[in-house]
Amino acid sequence: MEKFNIAGIEINRVSFFELFFNKTMFLAYILLAFGVFGIYEIILERYFLLTANAFDAGLHQGSKDVALAMREAIFGAGGEVKRESPWTLYIVNYMYMIYTGSGIIFLVTLAELVNFEILKKRAAGFLTLGLAMVFAGLFTIIFDLNMLNMQWMLLTPNIGSGMWLMLPLYLIYIPFVMFEIYLLLTDNKKLVKKIALVILVVGIFIDIAEYYIQAKLFDMNTARHLWTTYPNLPLYFILSSFLAAIGVMILYSFIAYKNNSKDDFDLLLRTLRRLALILIFVIAFYEAVSFLFIDKKWASVILFEGFAYQFYLYIVLAIVLPLLTIVFQLIRRNVNNFLMIFMSLSIIIGSYISRYIFVYGGNAYPMSDRFGTGFQKYSEYEIINSFIYNIPPISEICIVIGSFGVAIAVYKIFDTLLSVSKVREH
Amino acid sequence: MNFAMALDYQSCINCKACEVACKEENGVQLGADKQRIWVGQTEKSIFGNPFVNYYPSQCNHCIDAPCVDVCPTQASYFNDGGLVMVNKDKCILCKGCMEACPYDARYVDDKYVAVDKCTFCYDTRISEGEFTTACQATCPTKVRLFGDLDDEDGELVQVLKKRKFFVLKESDDTVPKLFYLFPEDQNFAINSIAEDTTIHTWDSFKPLIDKATSKRSKQWKNLI
Repeated sequence: MEKFNIAGIEINRVSFFELFFNKTMFLAYILLAFGVFGIYEIILERYFLLTANAFDAGLHQGSKDVALAMREAIFGAGGEVKRESPWTLYIVNYMYMIYTGSGIIFLVTLAELVNFEILKKRAAGFLTLGLAMVFAGLFTIIFDLNMLNMQWMLLTPNIGSGMWLMLPLYLIYIPFVMFEIYLLLTDNKKLVKKIALVILVVGIFIDIAEYYIQAKLFDMNTARHLWTTYPNLPLYFILSSFLAAIGVMILYSFIAYKNNSKDDFDLLLRTLRRLALILIFVIAFYEAVSFLFIDKKWASVILFEGFAYQFYLYIVLAIVLPLLTIVFQLIRRNVNNFLMIFMSLSIIIGSYISRYIFVYGGNAYPMSDRFGTGFQKYSEYEIINSFIYNIPPISEICIVIGSFGVAIAVYKIFDTLLSVSKVREH
Repeated sequence: MNFAMALDYQSCINCKACEVACKEENGVQLGADKQRIWVGQTEKSIFGNPFVNYYPSQCNHCIDAPCVDVCPTQASYFNDGGLVMVNKDKCILCKGCMEACPYDARYVDDKYVAVDKCTFCYDTRISEGEFTTACQATCPTKVRLFGDLDDEDGELVQVLKKRKFFVLKESDDTVPKLFYLFPEDQNFAINSIAEDTTIHTWDSFKPLIDKATSKRSKQWKNLI
């Protein structure tokens, strides 16, 4: 294929139609259509909902709009989140996409650092996949915010706030990962060799900083129980995202590298399987040990009461089933493609459920049985006997579906232009 | 000045006049779930006899408020008198403050697309020189008493010196400034207060106020 060479990087010369009109992009467009519909709904709800206060009622007596707004206030279900029905799927998907994407980037950077050849030569593809997931996560969360006031993030920043720290974090993180991909793709080998070590070490520090800031963000929610205690939270995020990352990497390998030589592909799968096995043991150990340190009553709610069903589903899907498939393959001394795909899907779904219960348990669960009631006579833990599930609004579901479209589209555009999935020896 | 409020919750009859007065005075968005203040209710049965407890509540204007710390744009801030306020023009609706608040005291004002909460009527009354809040002024059974914790001779401190009180969720260490007065009826107290709730006197709580105030008062500012 004819190529452009810009700043040492080879860009495929593809037509507009080749770039934007192919099977993968059509799938992305279908998913993105859901996202666009969700965004439309959010904007409609946020900026064009008829609302009124007592002043309006006094100043515009007889107004039909005020009457409609009052009707909406009493009978309607519109408007932003409420304490009893907060965003949930938004945060779950944001966490899943961002953490898993960062997990892939972290693991691949580590693999490069320790010269792990089988992953190293596919680093560009994996890093792009991770970056695409980070974009998908940001796409999810950005519509949770009122973008019209975002200038205040720069004009009056509260630099101690975890929420604010996300801004400089991603402003540094995303260009940095892009630079890593650039170095992998560029043919300027001398420069790569000179700065590779520094870039990798800095990359690892940025990855750790990201998990630390995310943990700080959640830990600052004084009011709410966390799934696991701080300062162990960054460690939990790192380990759990590594496992989720391995699940996604296995699935991606089947899509991108299935046509590599059989021996090479088998070696890749064996490597990822070995990593999965190690991480399953680490996560299992962490889950077993971490509950010794958190609030005992809260642990009881997780293990035996309100969240038990979801918790054990996560354990079975993310830990038990993958472990069984690995053990089965190890006994048979082979790599079974069906079992590998089954294992990756099981890990992906299980780790998604783990984010879901983290958000419900540690973020979304109302602090009171009635808005603002608080707990005085009744035990703080007593009302969490049954799992309160809020069905996410259609706009939230659509934006989450759209985020998968974002991940696919970002990856596909990078791959079409830069052939990131090509196996590269370096 | 260090504004606070005492609540003689045993006297609450759940007439909700305070909720209405608050909406009227402060232009709070209409709707039952859009509230700066509210009357909480718990029910139980004691040997077959029903017992209902009402306790009015609102933002506790915590001296060590976590909602201020989490705000990325300083839209949530401490005003003079230790009032926890929201500058709606700066709110990016990240809802971090709603997550951080132990009292679920914040809600999203759909009219302004920003988070809103109780200000102890700062904009409409206190900054105009008045010294009662709308909810206090309208309460028929005199549940609420607004005042200044720095004024030892003021009515609020005098009441707190005379009567025992408790605060909600003390274990969160936010040093809240809504003081629930210990009921005069012993039976009512037993049925409405959890066993693990710490009952305070002015002397036992004052050091907590002083410690938190010295930590946070540097952040108090008047932006309005």
